[in-house]
Amino acid sequence: MRAPLVGWILGAMVIGAGAWPASAQAPPAEEIMRRAHLAMYYPGEDMRARITMRLVSKDGGERVREMTMARRTVREGGEQRYFVFFHRPPDVRDLAFLVWKYPGRDDDRWLYVPALKLVRRIAASDRHTSFVGSDFSYEDVSGREPEDDTHKLLREEPVGGREAYVVESVPKESADFSRKLSWIDRAMWLPLKEEYYDRRGDLARVYTAEEVKEVQGFWSAVKRSMRNVQSGHRTDAVFDDLRYNLKLSPELFSERALRAPPAELTR
Amino acid sequence: MRRCLWLLALAASIASPKPAFAEQFPIHGFVQAASSYRLIRPAACPPTQSLACEEPFILGEGRARLELAPRGEWWALNTKTELIYDAAGQDVNVDLREGYLDLRFPALDLRIGRQIITWGVGDLIFINDVFPKDWGAFISGLPLEYLKKGSDAVSATAHWAGTSLQLVLMPHFVADAVPEAGGRLSFFDPAAAIETRTTDDPSPSIEHTQVALRASRNLFGWDVSLSAYRGFFLSPAGEVEPGPRLRLFYPPLNVYGASAQGSALGGVLSFEAGYYDSRSDRSGRNPSVPNSSIGLLAGYQREIVPDLIVSGQYYVQVTQNYGAYLKTRSPAMPACCAARHVLTLRLTRLLFHQTLRLGLFVLGSPNEGDWYVNPEASYQVTDAISASLGFNFFGGPPWSPYGQFKGDSNAHAVLRYAF
Repeated sequence: MRAPLVGWILGAMVIGAGAWPASAQAPPAEEIMRRAHLAMYYPGEDMRARITMRLVSKDGGERVREMTMARRTVREGGEQRYFVFFHRPPDVRDLAFLVWKYPGRDDDRWLYVPALKLVRRIAASDRHTSFVGSDFSYEDVSGREPEDDTHKLLREEPVGGREAYVVESVPKESADFSRKLSWIDRAMWLPLKEEYYDRRGDLARVYTAEEVKEVQGFWSAVKRSMRNVQSGHRTDAVFDDLRYNLKLSPELFSERALRAPPAELTR
Repeated sequence: MRRCLWLLALAASIASPKPAFAEQFPIHGFVQAASSYRLIRPAACPPTQSLACEEPFILGEGRARLELAPRGEWWALNTKTELIYDAAGQDVNVDLREGYLDLRFPALDLRIGRQIITWGVGDLIFINDVFPKDWGAFISGLPLEYLKKGSDAVSATAHWAGTSLQLVLMPHFVADAVPEAGGRLSFFDPAAAIETRTTDDPSPSIEHTQVALRASRNLFGWDVSLSAYRGFFLSPAGEVEPGPRLRLFYPPLNVYGASAQGSALGGVLSFEAGYYDSRSDRSGRNPSVPNSSIGLLAGYQREIVPDLIVSGQYYVQVTQNYGAYLKTRSPAMPACCAARHVLTLRLTRLLFHQTLRLGLFVLGSPNEGDWYVNPEASYQVTDAISASLGFNFFGGPPWSPYGQFKGDSNAHAVLRYAF
C-alpha cells in the first residue's frame, strides 16, 4: 500500500497560529469541518494554479487534462468565482469555464465554446457530476458546504505521521454518498484523507492529499488523488505554479474574459 | 496551394518545440477524414440536381488544419487554415477558416479579420444570429463547428460597468452556403427547370456594409441582450427573368432582437425574440422576397442525472402580411401557414469518464409536418484521436424547410487526429 502522504515540506514549527492547542479538548466536529472547509477552499483572497489531472483507468490507460484554474473569493466561507481555462487535450483546448458559486443555491455556470465563439449557460443542478470526466466531482473542486451535513468527531489518529481528527459526516439531504469519513490535520486543518461511502454503505471513493506544502503562508494540497475503489479508476491532480493573493480583478471573472481570456487567466 | 503545403511542412518540422516557445507561439491543428453516405435516394432529380441522384456519397473528404496563434500581453493573432481534399469531387481547396487580430485595451476589445460570431441562445434555431452559416456542411454531417462560417469583419466591443456593447461592421458580404444547383445535395427548387442562373452580390459597395450592434449584461442573475442588424437576408431569393433566367439575390433586411438566459427551475431557461424587417417588401406583395416576420423562442435545459442532459425548445415564426403573399405567389411556391411552429428535443449522455458521448436531436414542426432527427455517437479513442458516427434523417413535405432534404438523409463518420 502506498503511504497516504509523501513529500512533506515542513518548517521546524508547523503549528501555525490557527492550530488548536494540543493540550486542549478537541473542538466540536462542526468547528473542525468549518475550519477544514476554509483551509481547503478559501485560502487567500484569490489563487491561480496550473493543474494537470491524470485520469488513470484500472488497466493503466491514461488521459491527461491540463488547465489553469483561477479563483476569487467574494466572501470568506461564501460566494466565490472560478475561471478554468483548458490547455489540453486538443478537443477542449481554449475552452473556458466560469462558475459563480453561491452558498445555499445552484451555481451559475458558463461555458465558452471556442469553435463557435459561443458563450452559453450550462445547467448546474447536479454538483455530483464528474469534473471533466475525472473522479473529482464539481463539489470536490469547489467545495461542499459543511452545513449540508451533520458531523460527529469519532477519534483522533495519525495519518502518514500527522495528527488528525477523524470526523464522520452524514448528508442532511440526499447526496451521492451516504457517509463520509474525513481525516483533518490538527495543525493545518486540511483534509489529509477522505472516504466516501455509497448508499449501500460500501466504500466508493477515497481522497488523499499526496503532497502538502506551504505557499505564501497557506497550507495547500498540491498533489491530490481521488480513487474510485469500486471501478479501480483514479485521478491524480498536480497543482503547479500555485499562487495566492494575485489581486485578480473581479472583472476577470466575466463573459469578456471567457471570450478572450487575458494572460492572467491562462498562464 | 503550394504555399499552404509549405506551411504544413513548417508546422510539422517545429511541432515539438521547447515548452517556452510553444507557450508564446502555439501551433495546433488536426487531420480529419469525413464521409457521408446517402441513405435515401431522391425520388427524382431535375437536371440542375442530377448529381443527387447519381452520387451515393454526399461527402468524402480529407482535411488538414493548421492553427497559429502567437500572442502577447495586449494582442493576439489567430489563424486557422485548412487544406481540404474533396475525394468525391476530385478537388483540392485551401480555406482560411479564421484569421483575425485581437487588440485588447482597458475597456475595449477589437477583433479585425475573418472571424466567427455567434449570437442568440437557440440550439440550431437562429433568430438574432445574423452571421453566415454553411447549411451544406450541416446537412452533410460535418462536425457542428462547420455550420458557422467566418465573417470578414471589424468587431469592437466596449465594456463599461458590467455592460458590453459590440459593434460589428462587415464590408464584405458573405452569404450562407446553401445547397446549390449542380451540387450533390437535393433540395426544393421552385425554378428547377431553369438552368441559366445569375447571382447578384450586394458587396463590394461601402454603403452596403452590414452593421450589427449588440448590448448585453447580467441583470438580476440573467444574461440579457438587445441586438440590431442592418444588412441582407443571408440566403438568396430568386426571381425569374425573361430568357428564362433565374436571378438570385439577397434582399435587404433589418433585424431587431432580444434574448435572456438564466438559471431557473433547476436548469437553464432561455428566451429569444426577433423582428425581421424585410426592407424591400414591407407590404408582402413581392412573392420573390421573404415577408417581414417575428420569431419567438423559449428553451429549457436540465441535467436530470449526472452526465445526462435534456433540453427542449419551442419556436414560432409568424409571417407578416401572409395574405398578400398568398395572393401574389406563383403556384410553384409553397403555401402552408402564416405561423410555423417548431419543437425540439435534445438528449446528451456522457459515458466512460465523458469520453463517449451519445446524442439525440429531434426537431419537428407540428403544423408544417417536416422534421429532422440526428442520432450521434462520438468517442475519444485517445486524447488525440476521436471518432464519431451519426445519422441525419430529414422528412416532411418536399417544399418544407427540412422535408426538402429527405433525399440527403445520410449516415456520416468522422475520424480526427488532433495535435
